[in-house]
Amino acid sequence: MSQYLVSVLTEGSIFTVMALGLNVIWGWGGDFDLAFYGYVALGAYMTLVLTIGRAVPPAEFILGLQLPYPLAVLLGALAAGLMGLVVGLIALRHLRGIYFSIVTLGAVYVLYVLAGQYVPLFDGYNGVSGLFDPMGSTFGLTYQTYQYFFLGLCIAVAVVVFLLLERLSGSRFGLALRSTREDERATAAFGRNIYWLKLRGYVLGAVVGGLAGGLFAGYLTAFNPSAWSPIETIVVYASILVGGKGNGRGVVLGVFLIAVLLQESTRFLPQVPNNPELVLALREMVIGLVLIAFIRLRPQGLLPERRHLDREGGPGTGGPPPLGAGASHAAPQVGSAEPDAS
Amino acid sequence: MRAAPPPGGGASRYAAADRGQASFPNTPGPEHGRWVINEVLLTLGFGLVSAAILSLSAVGFSLEYAVTNIANLSHGEILTVGAYAAYLVQRQTGSLLAAAIAAALAGGCLALAVHTTVIERFVSRGTPRMSIFIATLGLSFVIQNALVIIFGATNVAYSIPQGAPRHIGPFLWTPTEITILASAVAITAALYGIIHHTKFGKALRAVSQNRDLARVTGIHARRIAAATWFLAGLVAGYAGFVLAESVGTFNPYFGFSFFLITLAAAVAGGLGKAFSTMAGAVLVGIALQFTGAYVSSSYELAFAFAILALVILVRPRGLFSRGRLSVFE
Repeated sequence: MSQYLVSVLTEGSIFTVMALGLNVIWGWGGDFDLAFYGYVALGAYMTLVLTIGRAVPPAEFILGLQLPYPLAVLLGALAAGLMGLVVGLIALRHLRGIYFSIVTLGAVYVLYVLAGQYVPLFDGYNGVSGLFDPMGSTFGLTYQTYQYFFLGLCIAVAVVVFLLLERLSGSRFGLALRSTREDERATAAFGRNIYWLKLRGYVLGAVVGGLAGGLFAGYLTAFNPSAWSPIETIVVYASILVGGKGNGRGVVLGVFLIAVLLQESTRFLPQVPNNPELVLALREMVIGLVLIAFIRLRPQGLLPERRHLDREGGPGTGGPPPLGAGASHAAPQVGSAEPDAS
Repeated sequence: MRAAPPPGGGASRYAAADRGQASFPNTPGPEHGRWVINEVLLTLGFGLVSAAILSLSAVGFSLEYAVTNIANLSHGEILTVGAYAAYLVQRQTGSLLAAAIAAALAGGCLALAVHTTVIERFVSRGTPRMSIFIATLGLSFVIQNALVIIFGATNVAYSIPQGAPRHIGPFLWTPTEITILASAVAITAALYGIIHHTKFGKALRAVSQNRDLARVTGIHARRIAAATWFLAGLVAGYAGFVLAESVGTFNPYFGFSFFLITLAAAVAGGLGKAFSTMAGAVLVGIALQFTGAYVSSSYELAFAFAILALVILVRPRGLFSRGRLSVFE
């Protein structure tokens, strides 16, 4: 039982990191990014090919280095950030709303198809495997103690990411990014460069996603296209929506409720002999229904985001957050956001 | 595209086209040139079939968007349900016509149900468009998994005797493919007639341009929107049937993967304008068939979205619409 609990908690902390990353893009920036799981996958793939050494034929994949695990995870997160930068440069320039979502959906499918079909990249549908107990031998851990060690590592990463993002959330950058969600025109009028703001937020989210992917690779020891499909993002979205979009604590709660409790609760249902997918399908159906129900009944989530009110004006206006007095270093660069406003 | 002939099937059909022409593909010269042109024309012929199916799926999506301003991410499931309905009815009755009608009706009913139970309720409560968009993604998840629960996730074989391929002009089509093409043309003509020459079509266009103004002039916008969704569902359900027929197999996820191509094609053509969408779908369908023939059919989806990304960067409102997209839209 404790074995089981350890694995559930490990998975939960990895999902927390993932959801916190997506929360930057969707919760703060307000962009419904369907490419997010691609960053998680890229982080996982990169971590694997950077740690497990040269490919043994017939397997083939790029790089094949034997770097230490933490370094590989960081490089994987960096790779995810680079991909986020490319996608963001294209998608955030002119596109918002559904057009943004559709282009990011396209981007993640391009990655998905490449990973699955272009064998020299990540060995196609076989995927990359063989990352056993990273760092375990360095610390001389047995299989049993290693599980606890890895759980501790994941929780530590989740806590650090949470604290960093909480700090950033109240910073000028966090507030400005959120103001673009509320009213881009107003933000631009205050002299903020919307494209640059959104791009930074997007890359940050992608990096955190890649980090979660690196941890995921260590937990799963392997990664292949059947381990992820672009539609998996919906579980992360449901977690954020249920917990409270834009609120870090809410996101953690949502991950606990959806990605952990709901996912695990179906594990104990009896298997139906002639329809092995039944339980899985039921769970996914419930996640879809929860998503719809929350959008309808409680779109702000269980723990709503604290609205930053105008400090000077009266309470209850619920308007855009104050932009701080720091307009001095942000040169007015309305130009890049404006040309298509006509 | 999923509508592509199965691997190997295509090659044998090229061979059939070549029969009796004594051509030497590797020898340069006039014969070689003729062979290349022939091959290109054949690919174009298959591309037209794929494009016909794609445009049927895309026009449904576009109509749904036109009257509610919501991109319906559960549109692919209408195709899937159409395919299942056709399969079940054909197994019972053995009639292809009955199967086609069942597919269309099932699609229409599902689209109507989606509209009245989810979309309209959200719209009337003033839920932001983006949230409704997300809800349709959840809905797609729900319908897919409901189908898995009812029918299981395994592939259903749905093979229909295609008949011997026949030369029509430079193209080579089986009787089934000819039926698909003819029905697509007929449906397009019917849609054109409905949208441009009936009172309902006029109301539809009014609602799509400005829902509030349409209501001011006494149009029952909600009823028009529901009827449009039903119409779109009819077309999409039928598209699911012909898609299943030409691929020969389907499962609960089949519509969603085809929908991704539909999405790329519809947005490339221009959302909300039924016939721009169709034109875009035809172009994308043919482009994909050539990709499949000359590069690899595994990369089709990636290519579809690459085309879309290009189009969106150059002409954000779609190939056939004027004006640029505002950042502040």
